[in-house]
Amino acid sequence: MVDFAGFSMPVQYDSIIKEHEAVRSKAGVFDVSHMGEFLLEGEGVINFLQYVMINDLNLLEPSKGQYSCMCYDNGTVVDDLVYYEENPNRFRMIVNASNVEKDFQWLNEHIGSRNVKITNLSSVRSRLAFQGPKSDEYLQPLVDLDLNSISRFYFANGNLNKAPIFIARTGYTGERGFELSFDNVYAEKIWSNLIQTGASPAGLGARDSLRLEATYSLYGHEINDSITPVEAGLFWLVKPKEGIEYIGKKILIEQKTHGTERIIVGLNLLERGIIRENFKIFKENVEIGHVTSGGYSPTLKKTIGLGLIKKEYKEIGTKLEIQVRNKNLKGIVVSTPFFRNV
Amino acid sequence: MDYEFPDNLKYTKTHEWVRIEDKTATVGITDYAQHQLGDIVYIELPEKGANLERQKSAGEIESVKAVGELLIPLSGKIIEINSTLVDNPEVVNSSPYGSGWMLKLEYKNELEINDLLSVEDYKRIVEEEN
Repeated sequence: MVDFAGFSMPVQYDSIIKEHEAVRSKAGVFDVSHMGEFLLEGEGVINFLQYVMINDLNLLEPSKGQYSCMCYDNGTVVDDLVYYEENPNRFRMIVNASNVEKDFQWLNEHIGSRNVKITNLSSVRSRLAFQGPKSDEYLQPLVDLDLNSISRFYFANGNLNKAPIFIARTGYTGERGFELSFDNVYAEKIWSNLIQTGASPAGLGARDSLRLEATYSLYGHEINDSITPVEAGLFWLVKPKEGIEYIGKKILIEQKTHGTERIIVGLNLLERGIIRENFKIFKENVEIGHVTSGGYSPTLKKTIGLGLIKKEYKEIGTKLEIQVRNKNLKGIVVSTPFFRNV
Repeated sequence: MDYEFPDNLKYTKTHEWVRIEDKTATVGITDYAQHQLGDIVYIELPEKGANLERQKSAGEIESVKAVGELLIPLSGKIIEINSTLVDNPEVVNSSPYGSGWMLKLEYKNELEINDLLSVEDYKRIVEEEN
């Protein structure tokens, strides 16, 4: 068990590789209750989210969720998150564990005169991710709604063995699957119900190796308060939102139009070894960036990573060197995602 | 958590095990060490013929979540490395004292053997770490 944002969390239940493979081949259950959950209510919610988020709320509709970032004025990232529109006056938002307090404060500071009330439900509700190719098959008998009717990024409210649940077809593994939220009192029962389907419990280690293969950004690694979404390759999140002012818009639109000096790229090694976060990247002995995430890919059976490097070296096929402790290993820029089934 | 620590081996406080046979010593990492590292995915070992001093790094053991170092328990010359670990590093997880051995060396100073830990002393160290 490790401490993660104040929660005691299992890195692995058994073996990271076995848990990873279980999610790629059947299904895995992740306890993601450490993540934050807010309820936003009021007539001003959509107008408010248009101001603090870089994605466009006009692309959203009731029963649908949207991935977005909220940014500072300089375009760097406060947090990346998903919000779900229950109705135009009521949104559920899931944020990163380490950013719960910061986000809650940031959001409240920017409500202004709008009619918006934010409730922090993080400690009274639990969250599980149920991910993998068999997640539909395993979950359907337990719930009172038709999972086929929930498209990707949509959600519904229903019951799992009589326990009221929020269920969204979203995830962080590169597999089809669901994310669930429910009152704490149902947590143990739902966990054991899901494990009994044949799904494997999966810990933080597999969560990280799966998301890295799927090339989903992780706050504190590919994005943080000194990296912008455009630098992180999330330029598609930056929406023009004509006539709407939003925090960070000026610099992000500028970056999206003209590019950035640094950019996140995919990396492989041409020699044996493992690259990890913060290892330095060189081109002909000149430092050009650093590894933001790295590790072993159980699916591809090789080392993969992401690095923030100078734009001149971003082309796929560019050879570079990555410093692994006392020596430089040969690496290469490769296309991403490394692996996704969705 | 129950770990296996064979009685007939010597140990180090850095979690290597040593099997002494005449003038050679076979070296690997303990069941506790492999468990702490988790799934091992890459192992780098020294060249055959290398002369290494006690406590010097003789290799790196990369797992999915961490990297560990193999420290030489006895000064001497490397006479054999377990080359099957290049392609099958996971053997160290499944058989740390058997097919997961890492290297054999010809030790040069018999007195150093006295500094190795007995199984009882090593078990105490593992208990303290937990």
